Amino acid sequence: MLERLEGLRIIANAQALDAAVWPNGSRVFRLAADDVFLLGDGEVHLDDPHAIVELETGFSGMSMEPAAALDWLESTCEWELPGQRPAFAQGAVAGLAVKLWFDETEVFVMTASALAAELEERMP
Amino acid sequence: MSLRITCPHCGVRPLEEYLYGEVPVVPDDVVGDDARDLDRAFMRANTEGVIRERWFHAMGCRRWLWADRDTRTDEML
Amino acid sequence: MNEFIEAKVALQWQQPKAAYDVVIVGGGGHGLATAYYLATRHGITNVGVFERSYIGGGNSGRNTTVIRANYGIPEAVRFYQRSLELFASLEDETDRWIMHNQKGLLWMTHTEHGMRAEKARAAVNTAFGAKTRYVEPEEIKEICPQIDLSGGGKFPVLGASYHEEGATARHDRVVWALAEGAMHRGVHVHQRAPVTGLLRDGDRVTGIETPDGPVSAGVVVSAVGGHVTTLASMAGLRLPIRSHPLQAFVTNHYAQAFDAIAASTDLLFYMSQTARGEMLLGAEIDRQPSYSYRSGHHFLESCAHRAMTLFPFLRDLRILRQWTGICDMSPDYSPIMGKTGVDGFLVTTGWGTWGFKAIPVGGEQMAQLIATDKTPELIAPFSLDRFARDRTLADRGSAGTH
Ligand SMILES: Cc1cc2nc3c(=O)[nH]c(=O)nc-3n(C[C@H](O)[C@H](O)[C@H](O)COP(=O)(O)OP(=O)(O)OC[C@H]3O[C@@H](n4cnc5c(N)ncnc54)[C@H](O)[C@@H]3O)c2cc1C
Ligand SMILES: [Zn+2]
Repeated sequence: MLERLEGLRIIANAQALDAAVWPNGSRVFRLAADDVFLLGDGEVHLDDPHAIVELETGFSGMSMEPAAALDWLESTCEWELPGQRPAFAQGAVAGLAVKLWFDETEVFVMTASALAAELEERMP
Repeated sequence: MSLRITCPHCGVRPLEEYLYGEVPVVPDDVVGDDARDLDRAFMRANTEGVIRERWFHAMGCRRWLWADRDTRTDEML
Repeated sequence: MNEFIEAKVALQWQQPKAAYDVVIVGGGGHGLATAYYLATRHGITNVGVFERSYIGGGNSGRNTTVIRANYGIPEAVRFYQRSLELFASLEDETDRWIMHNQKGLLWMTHTEHGMRAEKARAAVNTAFGAKTRYVEPEEIKEICPQIDLSGGGKFPVLGASYHEEGATARHDRVVWALAEGAMHRGVHVHQRAPVTGLLRDGDRVTGIETPDGPVSAGVVVSAVGGHVTTLASMAGLRLPIRSHPLQAFVTNHYAQAFDAIAASTDLLFYMSQTARGEMLLGAEIDRQPSYSYRSGHHFLESCAHRAMTLFPFLRDLRILRQWTGICDMSPDYSPIMGKTGVDGFLVTTGWGTWGFKAIPVGGEQMAQLIATDKTPELIAPFSLDRFARDRTLADRGSAGTH
């Protein structure tokens, strides 16, 4: 189910991240103003000479079919899910810290690998 | 209904996503290093009213934010 | 009308006098017990208790009524053991049925570390006069047949400390028995009488301010529970207290008898059965200081969930009521009693989530301090200046919110 992910962790100033052009088809998890987790192949151009870009292997995730995912999320989230697509959201899902990527074709569900087994138990 | 706190990055979220961060304030009229250390370590205004405090968005962006809360009602201002 | 309400009706309510020897602010268990022991042990009856709401309307009427002495440090074991004795004789002494019921308390653990802690607890208790022993799972099952020793497969019960004298009593009856005992001896108890300020002469506190005017006092005792920092600030005093909400709830009637009080440190809950057969549960405090009585659904869910891992029968019960109290938490989880450095102003606070069991001993000791102007040996370690003297009494592992 949830698989260990290999992505890029990018710490940079917020304006540079706002202006960045991300590779086509990539999933962009804007974890904080100055913090991105990027899943996808291709070059990233950032206007920040002090940016830190590292391989990040601490998350696990899986892709879900949108209708099934929304059903599950609506019953396990106490907060409002984003309406637009694509979108990123993060918060408590079934009591665990979860990060979500929404687009037209999927909902990608991700969490810290240490919580992955527990999250699986709480998934449909 | 659980208390809700607005994270500027992640949005409106239930209290359970956050950790509490106390902000000890030593009043100016506490004088002397020992007295100020003692006050900072232990004494609290414990205000019945509006306080300024910090919350850590542990289940979201993992950043600290500032908030004002009325401790009598738990209303976030 | 039950015998208890009748007793209430027969009480003589007085108008506040302009002066009392002793003014006690707060008509909770600790304020009323102080008045009761002043009157019964020292013949001091020129005493006025000022309660802003109704007596027992604070935490003394909101708690889960666990009485026990199985603390982790000698000072506390001795102190609470004295309270057990006073509680056991309170019914005879006041001639009021407070429903004191010795049940035995099981404090369960699910980790190696917890086992060591409970064994240490049993040893310290035995050394300082409390009846506690370490018990193995088989005996736990005998004491408490409803338990799932496997803890739902996730939290196996490895052992427990068993505190035979663990008990419960009906909280509002305790409060009223003390109020009545004090009032029959001449103490004035005033309900709907908020204290809005303190009278001061220089640094000394000389009385209180009320909406009906000032009342002077030889000594003012703060027994206001979670609101203590607000009152103390009127005396120019800062205290090491934060007020945190604590919630509890009861289920509907459970048909079987559940005799013991069951607690788990690792799972952070405790449970007992009320005289009406309801299951009464509590858990930990809210993390943020607050004076709001707002009850949270999240608390119910997580507390019930943890309790069900040991007691699957709870699944078939419904939650009937939940409520909240505001607890005066001290940094070391021990009470703060006695002199404050401000003349004429005493406190009894730091009762946090654990002060119901201490109502008789707290009152007895505060009364002795007031009557003799000397801090009794039993409460000397709990004085406010311990923080400045670097003599804190850390016992968080024993506070357990009950
Ligand atoms: C849910 C819950 C469960 C608990 N379970 C247990 C347990 O199982 N065992 C245990 O030992 N302890 C328990 N406790 C703790 C225990 O209830 C308290 O420590 C104890 O009741 C404190 O008594 P008190 O007299 O100091 O305070 P209170 O009973 O709170 O009394 C203080 C009184 O002061 C009044 N007051 C406040 N300000 C003013 C003012 N300005 N003027 C006049 N009056 C004022 C208030 O109205 C109140 O009536 C629990 C507490 C809670 C909330
Ligand atoms: Zn956030």
